[in-house]
Amino acid sequence: MTKPTESSPKRRGAGLNRRDFMIGGGAALGGAALLAACGDDDGGTTATTTTAAPTTTADTGPGSTTLGSNFSGEVPKAALAAAVAATGVETTINTIDHNTYQDNFNTYIQQPDDVVSWFAGYRMRAFAGKGVLGDISDVWSGLSGMSDGFRSASTALDGKQYFVPFYFYPWAVHYRKSLFADMGYSIPTTWGEFKALCDTMEGDGVIPLCAANDGRWPQMGMFDMINLRVNGYDYHVSLMGGNESWESAEVKNVFSTWEEILPYYQPDANGRAWEDSAVALGDKSAGMFLIGTFLADQYPAGEEIFEDLDFFLFPEINAEHGQDAIEAPIDGFMMAASPENETGAKALLGGLGSAPAIDAFLDVNPSVVAANSNANTSGYNSLQQSSATAVGSAKQIAQFLDRDTDPDFAAQVVGTGIADFLTSPGSIDTILADIEAKKQTFTFE
Amino acid sequence: MSAVTFDDQLASAATGPEGELLDTVRARRAQRRGSRVKPMRVLLHSFLVLMAVGWLIPIGTAIYNSFRDYQTDTQPNGPFAPPEMLTLDNYRAAWDVGEMSKTFGNTAFIVIPALFLTLLLAAIVAYVCTRYSWKFNIVFLVLFTAGNLMPQQVLFQPLFQFFKYMPWPDFISDTNTGNLLGTKVAVILIHVAFQIGFCTFVLSNFMKTIPKEISEAAAVDGAGVWRGFFQVILPLTRPALAALGTLEFTWLYNDFFWGAVMLNQGDERPITSSIAILNGQYGSDFNLVAAASTLIALPTLIVYLALQKQFISGLTLGASKG
Repeated sequence: MTKPTESSPKRRGAGLNRRDFMIGGGAALGGAALLAACGDDDGGTTATTTTAAPTTTADTGPGSTTLGSNFSGEVPKAALAAAVAATGVETTINTIDHNTYQDNFNTYIQQPDDVVSWFAGYRMRAFAGKGVLGDISDVWSGLSGMSDGFRSASTALDGKQYFVPFYFYPWAVHYRKSLFADMGYSIPTTWGEFKALCDTMEGDGVIPLCAANDGRWPQMGMFDMINLRVNGYDYHVSLMGGNESWESAEVKNVFSTWEEILPYYQPDANGRAWEDSAVALGDKSAGMFLIGTFLADQYPAGEEIFEDLDFFLFPEINAEHGQDAIEAPIDGFMMAASPENETGAKALLGGLGSAPAIDAFLDVNPSVVAANSNANTSGYNSLQQSSATAVGSAKQIAQFLDRDTDPDFAAQVVGTGIADFLTSPGSIDTILADIEAKKQTFTFE
Repeated sequence: MSAVTFDDQLASAATGPEGELLDTVRARRAQRRGSRVKPMRVLLHSFLVLMAVGWLIPIGTAIYNSFRDYQTDTQPNGPFAPPEMLTLDNYRAAWDVGEMSKTFGNTAFIVIPALFLTLLLAAIVAYVCTRYSWKFNIVFLVLFTAGNLMPQQVLFQPLFQFFKYMPWPDFISDTNTGNLLGTKVAVILIHVAFQIGFCTFVLSNFMKTIPKEISEAAAVDGAGVWRGFFQVILPLTRPALAALGTLEFTWLYNDFFWGAVMLNQGDERPITSSIAILNGQYGSDFNLVAAASTLIALPTLIVYLALQKQFISGLTLGASKG
């Protein structure tokens, strides 16, 4: 596997030097002298931080810049390195594991890289409002192939753009085509058909619905989908924005609708990792799975299950809202408020927002869909094509519960409430009262 | 275990003048052993076996699966299934993707100076507080010991802000961030500050057991404070330093928190904090993580096996007051 950017071999070399150095250094005497020597050692060989000033590099190009990446894991890391290479901007990639990056973002952004990975929508706006991000409206004026939907997802409350979308992936009900064909199941489009299908599957000895909630986020997707179908997109936005009561009839309606399908769930959802549910879908012991398209990564690419996988849109519940809305989280990049090399950072952002970068990314990691409409879609597999169609035909696109509202409120309050609901659906009134009470301690944007 | 040792002792002592007496003791014991019912012993051993297996299952499963492929084997067949194929690929991938040669270096860069400084400074404090009579001796020792009781994490925010605004020249730093934040020097300083309390406590208790007359004799011969420390007391403290060094090494090596919160650059982090980059946004290749974890556990295991004696005596260090 060939790895990251041009600077990577240099950095690796520095590590070895330093280690060799330390073997001798451990025996060295004075602490200050020791550290001083280390400083020299490091400064001389690494390219961790750029020293190129924009003024001196204006003639020769954008100079080198730094990118804080949450693209951890073997495949995403390699894919991002390919994308960055395609932009042609000399970049040092700082990879941090996705969860730590997200949890530490508050502190990370106080000493950030020039360009940082993040999420579109509310989560971007929350930080733009705090003044820790740089305005990149001028990058946007040079971008082509970005729809208005992506532009609004990248725009903060002050009307300026702070985000460059990279890719997205929809949430939908996944199933195995061969199971549906063998058993004669048809795709349900309404809530009634959906429940009838669940009944049939149960009769056939297949668990109708995969259910996992380890980490307390997977079932947020189910709440979102039912809420979008029952109450519509506008209500979703309003509820996530803290403007609606969680004890309202609308929210209670979501949970009572949800309760209708709980008997079809895999038992004890709270303790199951979504990867384990993926196994059940793969071996056909379970029939359907509402999850993001990253599900496909669980199966070896090009082999039987991967090729057999497909999805359909969550069925209509309320005719008024039909199947209008879809959830499709967007990942992308932002610029720090005061980057060391602004020219380089903007060049990198512009590059990452254009087609060649995402093409290079998707070559390595084909489980997501390009945000840029100029991207090459001829190499898309059937799931990517379905994803692009589904999102393209959706009237509204939501992000995800924990991306559309205060992340702490989502994780600590709503996530806990949903987990409690799954274990005791009967006490939903108490749970919602609790959510509403705790909501008061959060300030929404 | 203890019975066997006792028997051994008996056997070796049997040649001595008390041999006859020992024979009768042994005969009586043999008699007793034959008639004794041992349900408690059976219960104890089955409990111990059960606990041992309970501890070994997760570790054994992780090591076993680190040799299997995740997508094609462990994921569909389950972690306990017989292997379809055993491979070292996970280890190779973990080493490359986790940049482990780099992050092991980071760990060494942090742990070795931190260990050295902690032991040196703690020994100096312990020396002064135990060898010289000063009215704040007790207050000082209490202060250092009390520092142990504070959970380190509560100091995270103050330290973070302090480091952020603390200018730090690049020539005595390992990265050129301009301040202490984001440097490995910061992590070293934190480790030294937090570990020094426990080390002082242990070393002062040990030094109290060294007769005062030794220092007095050295003083009569003309040794000053520094000479008395480096050439008289420090060599005598070697057993305690060895035990403490072994313990502290594993503690510092295992640190996850400070490496994760103080170092924003992924490739500056020590091995423990950086290895999570093997996890993706949603999915994880658990076998890859298992392989990496096995590699990370090796240094502490090696230190433990090589320095077992020091490690065990380290556990009781400072347990008795001199």
